[in-house]
Amino acid sequence: MTPALHVENLRVTSREGRVLLDVPLLTLDAGQSLALRGASGAGKSTLLHVLSGLVRPSAGRVVWGGQDIAALTEDARARFRRETLGLIFQDCHLFEELSALGNAGLASAFAPARDRAPIRLAAAQWLAALGLGQAGARAVDSFSGGERQRIAVARALAGGPPVILADEPTAALDRANADALGADLVRLAAEGGRMLITVTHDAALAARMGRQITIADGRIVEDSDA
Amino acid sequence: MLDLWASLPPELQDVLFALALIAPGLLAGAMVLRGLRPLPLVGAMLRRFVWVNALFVALIAVSVGLGVGLLAQERGLRQGSARAAEKFDLIVAAPGSEVTVMLAAVYLQPSDMALINGAQYAEIAGAEGVAFAAPIAFGDSFQGAPVVGTTVDFVSHLAGPLAEGRVFATAEEAVAGAYAPVDVGGSFTPAHGHGPAAEHDAHEGFAYAVTGRMAPTGSPWDRALLVPVEGVWAVHGLANGHAPGDPRIGPPFVPEMMPGTPAVLVHATELWGNYALKSRFTRGDLMAFFPGTVLAQLHGLMRDVRSAMSLMAVLTQVLVTLSVLIGLMIMVRLIARSLALLRAIGAPLRFVFAVVWAYSAALILSGAGLGLALGWVAARGISAIVTARIDVLVTANLGWPEAHLVAGFISLTLFMALLPAWLAVRRPLLTDLRT
Repeated sequence: MTPALHVENLRVTSREGRVLLDVPLLTLDAGQSLALRGASGAGKSTLLHVLSGLVRPSAGRVVWGGQDIAALTEDARARFRRETLGLIFQDCHLFEELSALGNAGLASAFAPARDRAPIRLAAAQWLAALGLGQAGARAVDSFSGGERQRIAVARALAGGPPVILADEPTAALDRANADALGADLVRLAAEGGRMLITVTHDAALAARMGRQITIADGRIVEDSDA
Repeated sequence: MLDLWASLPPELQDVLFALALIAPGLLAGAMVLRGLRPLPLVGAMLRRFVWVNALFVALIAVSVGLGVGLLAQERGLRQGSARAAEKFDLIVAAPGSEVTVMLAAVYLQPSDMALINGAQYAEIAGAEGVAFAAPIAFGDSFQGAPVVGTTVDFVSHLAGPLAEGRVFATAEEAVAGAYAPVDVGGSFTPAHGHGPAAEHDAHEGFAYAVTGRMAPTGSPWDRALLVPVEGVWAVHGLANGHAPGDPRIGPPFVPEMMPGTPAVLVHATELWGNYALKSRFTRGDLMAFFPGTVLAQLHGLMRDVRSAMSLMAVLTQVLVTLSVLIGLMIMVRLIARSLALLRAIGAPLRFVFAVVWAYSAALILSGAGLGLALGWVAARGISAIVTARIDVLVTANLGWPEAHLVAGFISLTLFMALLPAWLAVRRPLLTDLRT
């Protein structure tokens, strides 16, 4: 089941005490899609990292389906990411010496034994769904930028996560590839009833989302739902 | 407990010691890898930085190879020198340095020595329990090969049945060592002395005909040319040990007609008889000694050198271990981004720890394995060179000391590889992810 998101009194400060993020309240229902927009350095990626548990907030709560991940240990947050989130990064972050299938099914390397085969099977299915079904055995360094990002999307989806968090997934792609990937991402999230949160400068991708939030100086300054 | 250990066969002790050495490393590995499957990722990382990894493996291999080669070589040299002296039961010479006589008579390293006279030789040869007493007279050479005067008994005792031809029967015949520079059927004129100072025309007009060739003995005698001692005396213008006109060679010699010999190899009819003979001929005008004992004393004196070499080998391994550790920490930085990705997508810290440790272990084990092979090849190569230089067959094979050295190295480094693995999971995730 897709968990809802409830963020409350969230603050992230730098070591010097500068406020990087200040979000009094943010909620998102299960299955919703959200675009985080704003200028570079506004705090979009920081918010995404806090939501994924990669960064521990200085204060506040980040509650996913009733569980405050800010209070979890590092290993517990890793487990939360493993079981709940699919992460997509701007520059793909692929293992260059592994095949497309090896990258898409990367989570099988550290998953419990019973989950390994299903993850690998799902990885192959997602690659096929993203148009790379015949290329699973190829090393990833032979793929184009758009194809590499599709492999990263397949990796994010292979574990069957109810939530997809994407950080500028189309930033490194040309217009045609960006549009195609954005469409696929939104479609696949919607088909699975997944929550999709993406940081993006891409207006076209943002327009595909159900909700848009604009962040400036670490604060939410515009919310399409407000 | 010590008694129990001492009661075990040496081979079992070696096996148990090797297992005890490697156990901590393997135990650490078993604990780290339990239930995890990091090898596909480790393989990818190894391929990703293949040249850096290859260089790292090569450095480990060279250092392990040096340690292994050093130990094997030292043991090979010790065993080779002992084997070369095996046939020399008891040597009797004029009083002086046992080491000098041993080097001259056993290892054919030329040296000026006082002579045993005919009466003394007759007493030795005629003593109860003496099977034969062979004079060993050196001082001439041919093309760098020592020409040694002795008897048929000594030739048979040293190398057994000839590999080719027959033993000398006259004072003008010779038997060649296995690798001596004259073929059977050939002849040679000896030079007086050895090396650059040898006088090549001193014995002009005299030639030995080679009638046989000895089987290899693994000693400097393989390059020697053995001639009847009468020939050596005759070629130097001395009496030949027999009555004038007597063409016989070999003992008995007429004491008054015997010019003397620097050393006599005594072979007793019974092994225990050697001790009585040694005792009998250790006196004011003679010196008797067992070359094996002198060699053991020399090896004993060199124990400090051996210990120093072993210590050097261990110290080298310790330094290499530290270098490996520092190298691994640097290598972890190379793979930090991949590790951060694993952590970001939810890999447990224990898995990331296992990936780094297994990556390190792959480098260490490859390097150690390659080093063992390299050490073996190096030891064989150096053995061949040493054998050619000193004419003592040195066979350096890998043995348990080398296995213990490598097992200890592997275990220590595998254990120490826990440190870079621990540091890797403490690295700032987000910083590495953005690298």
